[in-house]
Amino acid sequence: MVTERAREFDTQDLLINVGPQHPSTHGVFRMVLEVDGELVKDVIPYIGYLHRGAEKLCETMDYRQGIGFMDRTEYLAAFNAELSYVMAVEELAGLEVPERAQWIRMILCELNRLSSHFMFLGAFGVDTGVMGTPFIYGWREREMLIDLFEEISGDRMMYAYFRPGGLAWDVTRNFKERVREVIKSSAQGIKDFDGLFTENEIFVARTKGIGYISAEDAIDYGMSGPSIRASGVPLDVRRDEPYLKYSEVDFQVVTGQHGDVFDRYACRLQEMRESIKIIEQCLDKMADTGPIMPEKMPRMLRTPPGEVYMRTEAPRGEYGIYLVSNGGNRPYRLKVRSACLSNLQALKQMSVGLYVADAILVLGSIDIVLSEVDR
Amino acid sequence: MTSEEATQPVPANDFSGTIWAEVDRALSGITARPEAGVKDVIVHIPRDEVIAGLRRLKADAALHFDYLRCLSGIDREADGIEVVYHLYSTDKKHNLTVKTTLPMDDLNVATATTVWRGANWLERETAEMFGVRFTGHPDPRTLLMPEDMTDVHPLLKSHPLAEIEVLQGEGMGYPEEGA
Repeated sequence: MVTERAREFDTQDLLINVGPQHPSTHGVFRMVLEVDGELVKDVIPYIGYLHRGAEKLCETMDYRQGIGFMDRTEYLAAFNAELSYVMAVEELAGLEVPERAQWIRMILCELNRLSSHFMFLGAFGVDTGVMGTPFIYGWREREMLIDLFEEISGDRMMYAYFRPGGLAWDVTRNFKERVREVIKSSAQGIKDFDGLFTENEIFVARTKGIGYISAEDAIDYGMSGPSIRASGVPLDVRRDEPYLKYSEVDFQVVTGQHGDVFDRYACRLQEMRESIKIIEQCLDKMADTGPIMPEKMPRMLRTPPGEVYMRTEAPRGEYGIYLVSNGGNRPYRLKVRSACLSNLQALKQMSVGLYVADAILVLGSIDIVLSEVDR
Repeated sequence: MTSEEATQPVPANDFSGTIWAEVDRALSGITARPEAGVKDVIVHIPRDEVIAGLRRLKADAALHFDYLRCLSGIDREADGIEVVYHLYSTDKKHNLTVKTTLPMDDLNVATATTVWRGANWLERETAEMFGVRFTGHPDPRTLLMPEDMTDVHPLLKSHPLAEIEVLQGEGMGYPEEGA
């Protein structure tokens, strides 16, 4: 990247502190960049500014109370986070979830993937230096989705709608029409982003060929989600270990070829189209009426001693819940496997050798949520 | 087959149809005891052999556990601290849980960063949360906790939850009760 002429100058390395309060770090993330001129020579990430000890707090709460904490670990895709948690409890307690509840969960999780990716697209636009337009476009589509979530769960971000066994209450009567309406608008939004970014020469020139990570390295670092699929690894929990009804719907696992920033963006955008396909199939297969909770639910939910590692595919990658029970009504130990934490470990490898402005793009392209990293 | 396993009563499910047979073959010469988990088979390996075992599980062509899903700890109080490795194979698509138990008075285990680089931050987190020392770790700083809070291990059962505010110290600007 450096021209011969630039090498002639003898420059002194400089430490730049980015964050924790910096718009490009998407939250309270801090990284210290060692730069030689404009080139990044080393990246030292610091996390933990948002550590609230959700794992420890869950040990003192019974299973239903813990749902709220899971929302707050992954606030941009709270349905996905809740899902892992309630499925871990169901697996241990041996609860059968009624079919209709499973379809509803699946629709909501995919809608949540859409809203989370719209948020990414908007914020990523700002990272590339396009202030305004993409951000507002992303926000507009996300707002439609969030309105729908509010109609169903009563809350815009912290839903606490999934419960061990099923759902807190039934969806609204016009659920199917509303979902169809919203995904129609989302499909148009995806098309808009195609025009804004994918076909935008400046955007492509900025993002292609930077932040490369090979498939072997990505696996070694334990990356997951669109960030690893962009490197050509078809790793998707929905396909590899189907949960809910994912084995009954038809969808593609989107992979990239180059493992660069552009591919990570393109994978997400293509994945959103797959999500819409999944939602349409779910709407066709879902019954209009039916139970959403098992008939006999204990008043106080207890699980037999044992442990389970429940994994689901959240928008940012594998969101795992490692739940250990000693037979009580609360977890003995709860570990949240954060996708962003593992993805973030590869940041140094992806950013060294790039310009400072490109290192910001690399950070944006792995789409971190700091509350999930720190928990 | 090890002496430890011979003394244990064989569980009702005899691990047929699971990957235990393959794992047992790959881990020949290493003390390993299987246990049936809800989703995945759990293998207990003593801590002196656990890294050698993990390395073999990764290198074995038929198993090929190249992906470390999760690394965490469990405080079993009197029984010590369990370090848990959740393994996955990206091409064979199978899972395995490996566990090793450390006695409370000697919380040392070799680092798994030599097997997977992704173990780095996960071990740093486990170290600060439970006081486990991963010997040979390339970067043994705190991860989520403040740099100077190296003697506080919040996820230990002996760590009081209600007194965290006290531990964070005076002078934080909190008003006095009733003031």
